Amino acid sequence: MSTLESSVQVSHPRRPIFRLERAELLKLRKSRGVWIPTALLTIGAIAIMYTAVELFHVYNSSKYGPAGGTVNLGHALLLMGQVAGMIAAALVGAAAGTQDLSSGVFRDLVSTGRSRARLFLARIPGGLALLLPMMAIAYALAAVLCVVLAGGLPTPSVTLFIKAGLYVLFSGAVVYVIALGLGALIGSRAATISVLIAYLLPVQAILRNISVLGRARDGLLSPAVERLSPLSPPDPHDVLSMSLATSLIVLAFWVAIFCGLGLWRTQKRDA
Amino acid sequence: MASKSEYVIETEGLKKSFGDQVAVDGVDLRVPRGSAFGYLGPNGAGKTTLIRVLLGLTQPSAGTMRVLDRPMPKERSRALARVGAIVEEPGFHRHLSGRENLSVAAAAREPEAHTRIDKVLEQVGLADRADDRVSTYSQGMRQRLGIARCLLSDPELLILDEPTNGLDPGGIQEFRALVRSWIAEGRTLILSSHLLDEVEKICDYVAIVDRGKIVAQGTLSELSTGDDGAITIGCDEPHKALAAVDGNGSLREVEETAGGLRVLVKPDASLEKVAAELNTRLVGAGIAVHRLEPSRVSLEHRFLEITRRLGGDS
Repeated sequence: MSTLESSVQVSHPRRPIFRLERAELLKLRKSRGVWIPTALLTIGAIAIMYTAVELFHVYNSSKYGPAGGTVNLGHALLLMGQVAGMIAAALVGAAAGTQDLSSGVFRDLVSTGRSRARLFLARIPGGLALLLPMMAIAYALAAVLCVVLAGGLPTPSVTLFIKAGLYVLFSGAVVYVIALGLGALIGSRAATISVLIAYLLPVQAILRNISVLGRARDGLLSPAVERLSPLSPPDPHDVLSMSLATSLIVLAFWVAIFCGLGLWRTQKRDA
Repeated sequence: MASKSEYVIETEGLKKSFGDQVAVDGVDLRVPRGSAFGYLGPNGAGKTTLIRVLLGLTQPSAGTMRVLDRPMPKERSRALARVGAIVEEPGFHRHLSGRENLSVAAAAREPEAHTRIDKVLEQVGLADRADDRVSTYSQGMRQRLGIARCLLSDPELLILDEPTNGLDPGGIQEFRALVRSWIAEGRTLILSSHLLDEVEKICDYVAIVDRGKIVAQGTLSELSTGDDGAITIGCDEPHKALAAVDGNGSLREVEETAGGLRVLVKPDASLEKVAAELNTRLVGAGIAVHRLEPSRVSLEHRFLEITRRLGGDS
């Protein structure tokens, strides 16, 4: 260390905007444990899906159709909106919600006097700035392959492409915010990911098949997300019939509850 | 604008409990502006908890506090905008470089904080390693980076909890020089430590805390000198010497040691005069005196005495 006559000097200050949000993005995009699995679960999953289907088609075209077309875009939406994409969103959300705590940086950020609510809310755009571009690239890849590998199959209209793209991004954002809130609430990345994956995959699948639950199943996350998909799912009987308004209310409820819990815990937690 | 108070921190009856356990017990603390203030106490005395309360990291159970003339936690954001702090071991995102970590911290500060990053890295001697990942840093380097992070806010008040942990002797010396430069610039430092030597070398004011309570507070010289001096006497026949000095009204306590006596002198008596008087008495009693050493009580002795660790009474 060297002692200077004037220890801190202010030069011409730049006034960068969205500084907290950019800091959140920096933390996430520099973490290989976050962006590599996220890329694999979004871009990688689409690449693998189309490659596998196309290989089957090339191997036996009489039995397996082309990998492209509207039908397979529906499969891609299912993969991105409800399986791999959801897990990717959960991974990024859990990391964003817990990384300051696990590194011990949260205490130092709080001691700056900056509002805890502001620190929490900055994580929403910060994490989405990593997740959504990856989902967008994955969707763009799916859209291109849908046309290029269509063979004789019908391809979606431009409107449908746009709706499908918005659906993918929206579903990812919803799960991201839920994971972020849950992460801030629990404080453990591993526990958050475990709880979410367990819920999104086996638990939810079991619950949606328990008919005695009736309309209460409308409150599950995946059916509400699925309702927004512009392409019919592979098995229409699997979807609980709900109105668009109900779907949006259910999703708003999920987001508000977990975002609220995460915000509350961030404000009350001993740093 | 209202004039600045004489104190950068003022607390009254500050208390923090965890269930039945009281970590901070009715603390009345006044930290003079522009001072190096040592907050000294044994492990578990409640030093870190007090700092955490002052920084709004945890809520107090009772009491009031003002930081940089602003009531806490009501005006927490404005009060802490000019405070830099290290609480326990500084935490960092280990996958980011030192510079990136400072950038993250600067994002929570005012915009000018970003422009100070290079300067503070240079100050703490990390400019050459600024772009390396923190996971490759030694503990001492992380400690330096923590100090750099404190300086991002151009702080009026620095609160450092055990800041020399992990620093090598050279680093400690450089840290002391840095502290002296801060004080010269008019900043105030609160140094929380259990290292008496460190506090003695750096601070001019000291509060001694034990079991959550401040048990002594004042300038270093007031506390080091305390209310008594001591005289170590080396002589033959300590038992006979004990009888010879008995009855001297200037003595507060007399203790027989292996090679003589150790006496504590009352605060209003002159150490030198009492030493001369004792020498006369001992020689008059036919006792050979080969050593007579007046000494002021050290901060260490004072600390141990106050915190009742002396003699195992803990």
